[in-house]
Amino acid sequence: MRKAFDYARRTALAGAFVLAGAAGAQASDLRVANARLSLLPGATPGAGYFDIVNEGASPITLTGAESEAFEAVEMHESSEHDGMAHMHGVDSIEIGPGETFSFAPRGHHLMFMGRLAPLAEGDEVEVTLDIDGEPLPVTFEVVSPVSL
Amino acid sequence: MMKRMLWPLVAAALLAGCADEEFRTTDIEEIMPPLEFALTDGDGEPARAEDYRGKTTLVYFGYTQCPDVCPLTLARFASIFNELSEAERDDVQMLLISVDPERDTPEVLKRYTGAFGPAFTGLTGDKEEIDALTNRYRIAYSFEEPNERGDYIVNHSSAVFAFNAEGQPRFLVRDPHSDQDVLADLRQVIEEG
Repeated sequence: MRKAFDYARRTALAGAFVLAGAAGAQASDLRVANARLSLLPGATPGAGYFDIVNEGASPITLTGAESEAFEAVEMHESSEHDGMAHMHGVDSIEIGPGETFSFAPRGHHLMFMGRLAPLAEGDEVEVTLDIDGEPLPVTFEVVSPVSL
Repeated sequence: MMKRMLWPLVAAALLAGCADEEFRTTDIEEIMPPLEFALTDGDGEPARAEDYRGKTTLVYFGYTQCPDVCPLTLARFASIFNELSEAERDDVQMLLISVDPERDTPEVLKRYTGAFGPAFTGLTGDKEEIDALTNRYRIAYSFEEPNERGDYIVNHSSAVFAFNAEGQPRFLVRDPHSDQDVLADLRQVIEEG
């Protein structure tokens, strides 16, 4: 309930900023492609992969994501050192003008935790990316990790 | 005279045979011990390495709450297995051994590995049993601090170990090894019988 309220409040706030012309980059300057949510049956977490293109003239900062289909969404990065697979949280990602940033297998990914409803391959999940405090809605397609 | 002429041919054939046995991935025949473990299977029943003899066996140490690297690794092998003939596929299996036994109960593991196909089995155990195995294969794992939801990250080995049908060590796969090289090595071990 609190989560839904926070979401509504943030959306309203972001809307107000856009109206006031105070937001940095406009959502129309951003393009997200190839958004997939890799998921397995059961309560295990999913991984979100996508490409985000900043077609605007100023840098943008991605600071997080959320979805009403999951309790929590975090930005993570996988890496490998000396034969060990590591994963760590990422607070923000800056994407310069004209740059593309990829959330891709074995690299950056969104980690979707605590699914709130059953999801199957082919389903669509609405995810809101937080770009400089402004929400950017993106539709992710649920896929099997075997398809990646 | 005949015998003397044949010897170089025999020697050449033997050498060629040896060359064939070289792995394209990392050879672990001399450096790793045979597959031995005492764990618990997806039905909560005791699982010993002897129960898994008879097939070429790939072993990966991971955990189900890992969203990226672990499912991608299992998916990679599912796709490599699809390149095998049906007869070859019957002779290969992959074991996911959990390094996160607290969250990876037998039921959780069974459901998770089932998503990759019948060749995949999840095994868990108590910490001592798992540590006995990770020490045996000289691999490490470590836990990060839990977040406010109680979720925590486990850092773990990214290697996949391959054993022949008798549980003898054969090769080790790391991420940079190509699927074609893995497939070639896998076929070689399956052919051993």
